Amino acid sequence: MNLLQLFLVFAKIGAVVFGGGFVMIPFIQREGVQHYGWLTQQQFVDAIALGQITPGPILISATFIGYKVQGITGAVVATLAVFLPSFLMTALAARPLARLRRNPRVAGFIRGVLPAVVAMLLVAAVTIARSALGLDWRLLLLALAALILLVRFKVDAVYVVLGSGMVGFLMAR
Amino acid sequence: MTDVPKAAPPAAAASLLQLAGVMLKVGATGFGMGMVGVLQQEAVTRRAWLSQQEFADGLALANLLPGPIAVDAAVYVGYRLRGWLGATVCLLALLVPAFVIMLGLTIGYLQYGQVPQLHGVFRGLNAAVVALVLSVAYRIGRSSLKSTSQGVLAAAALGAALLHTNPVTVVLTCGIIGALLLAPHPKVAP
Repeated sequence: MNLLQLFLVFAKIGAVVFGGGFVMIPFIQREGVQHYGWLTQQQFVDAIALGQITPGPILISATFIGYKVQGITGAVVATLAVFLPSFLMTALAARPLARLRRNPRVAGFIRGVLPAVVAMLLVAAVTIARSALGLDWRLLLLALAALILLVRFKVDAVYVVLGSGMVGFLMAR
Repeated sequence: MTDVPKAAPPAAAASLLQLAGVMLKVGATGFGMGMVGVLQQEAVTRRAWLSQQEFADGLALANLLPGPIAVDAAVYVGYRLRGWLGATVCLLALLVPAFVIMLGLTIGYLQYGQVPQLHGVFRGLNAAVVALVLSVAYRIGRSSLKSTSQGVLAAAALGAALLHTNPVTVVLTCGIIGALLLAPHPKVAP
């Protein structure tokens, strides 16, 4: 029963993560943390952090949650489920691609979805900042510095992530 | 492969083994969006499996569909070259390195995550995640919040999210509103 539930939840998330992997944050938080209690808020934000230092897509955080629910089997099921919808859609859409791109309804759908994605990413950032950084001004300052490096100086995310981890380590000593 | 489109034949033949090899490399060396660059280098520049234009079309498709752009693009490459089997091989090969590493990290975390030295590392990583999420919001916002109506949609979605509305409902409602109200007028043929 758990495995089926796990599969359905992650397939649902995989079908709506428009705009990249980070959009999964509010979905997983609602389903995995609040509804099913598969993991704590702390483990959730740490799972996303681990997804950052792992090569490959950020959605691979699904592996962490699957493992927590049902060991290796759970990890496999959650990982496959979260990528299945976009896999099917991409392969099915590859041939009628030109027609899809010209369809004004499809373009309109995406124009509507992206503002919602922006809003949800903002909420996700605030949620993580509150639960993982607390009111520690040094961590908030670190996040601000990282943001400036990413947006203003276009530093590669890998270096920002590794650097932040190191700064965090030094700060905790 | 009967289901490979005839209109645009692949520039070079690729065996399933070659596809798997390339995707393993992309999955093991690319981080997040960085995978797109590695994939392009391998599939377009080095092996000429697809033309630059075909690859760009794949990226455009990936932008339309849910899921990470790089994963969608890899599936597109696999499908264009070897149909469904190619798409499946590409997806699985791309995920294997990430899955194995993530599984190892997960087991390590659940075992040793409470070690005090690691606590600081995770807080630092969390700060980077906050910054990354904001930078993605900024990037998508800058390219997608171009009209008042999109600004209103974003504000409405923000309000709904703060009221704990199910995010699936929010995303799909905004998409449907967009399809009904924000569809571009079909261009008059030149």
